[in-house]
Amino acid sequence: MRSIGRTARWSAFFRSFLVQGSWNNRTMIGGGFAFAILPVLKRLNRGDPAGLSEALQRHSEHFNAHPYLSNLALGAASRMEADEHSEEDIRRFKAAVRSPLGGVGDALVWVGWRPATVLAALLLALAGATPAFTVLFFLFAYNVGHLALRLWGFGVGLERGSRVSESIRKAALSKKADRLSGLGVFLMGGVIGSAIGRSWSIDNWPILLLAVVGGVWGLWLGSLVGQKVWRWTFLGVSGAIGLIFLVGWIG
Amino acid sequence: MSIVLYRVDERLIHGQVVVGWGSQLRPDRYLVVDAAVAASEWEQELYELGVPEGTGVEFWSPEDARGMLSSWDESDLRSVLLARDLDTFLELANGGTLEGKALNVGGLHLREGREEILPYLFLDPSDRDTLRSLESEGLSISAQDLPGSPKVGLEGLLA
Repeated sequence: MRSIGRTARWSAFFRSFLVQGSWNNRTMIGGGFAFAILPVLKRLNRGDPAGLSEALQRHSEHFNAHPYLSNLALGAASRMEADEHSEEDIRRFKAAVRSPLGGVGDALVWVGWRPATVLAALLLALAGATPAFTVLFFLFAYNVGHLALRLWGFGVGLERGSRVSESIRKAALSKKADRLSGLGVFLMGGVIGSAIGRSWSIDNWPILLLAVVGGVWGLWLGSLVGQKVWRWTFLGVSGAIGLIFLVGWIG
Repeated sequence: MSIVLYRVDERLIHGQVVVGWGSQLRPDRYLVVDAAVAASEWEQELYELGVPEGTGVEFWSPEDARGMLSSWDESDLRSVLLARDLDTFLELANGGTLEGKALNVGGLHLREGREEILPYLFLDPSDRDTLRSLESEGLSISAQDLPGSPKVGLEGLLA
């Protein structure tokens, strides 16, 4: 295996944040992928402009995946380039890896992590946190997960090359996605429930009625899903929500 | 009634197939017919990740698959049969083995020499010839990316 070098690796990692920068219908994130992997290709093709040009061309082709998890493909493709896999192998790898990375990434981040962190922040706001704190909390919590996923993906890809499937399977990302979306639904119920707690004193019966019906339905649905997927989270969060509810009601 | 869908799709197992067609047809297994994937363990592992839990996936070379077609079709298991290109299907269908079956043409993407027929379908002259040959082997051919989208018959594709 040829060495990719620390500088090229970090450079590719930072460039990966722009992977959607040239999104288009024909190549989707293909252009962004090529931009991200360029430092690696330059390093591996030092003194070989023709080789570099060929490599850059094959990585500019159509590619798509979840933007964060595309780092796994980026790492793996870098490793495969370093290991001198054939062009056909690399093309086939990218074709095969894109759908699991896309599907799992959407479920994990867009359906799981983002709503869960937004709702947790909302719950904090309802519990009395200042707007600035709420926003900062969301940005911090969301991006801890975001960066962890990007770093993990890139690292696993670099380490395992074309044999990443076992690591993806072991990470049980779909299961984590299920848990997160269950947690999200549950927090949703909590947000509605807390909203009722706070609006209890409002003298507006139609709104209150709507909030009660919505809150009960949300809590019921949320606890159902939440309990099914993650018992301890359910217990912990339900305790916290009950407390907030009481504070809102009494206070 | 046991191969519930024959589909040509360059991406083999992916969202449109598993979520789009899979949720409607509820297959028990996906049968991927592809010479290269059948010989490559790491590619198989990657495609296995794209299949929902509880659904099987098998990888076959075209030669081996030809001998299995009738038993798959008589089996109690519902299967979706996928191949990456039209030539693979012609290899399966040669001699009328798939006579009377419907062939769903899903994604064939942009490549040098191909022109756009539909947003998800690009064909070159040799693809058109293969489509005609498939029709003369008795397959009824239509393009449709997802169950809910309009179906375009062979005349529409070759026009």
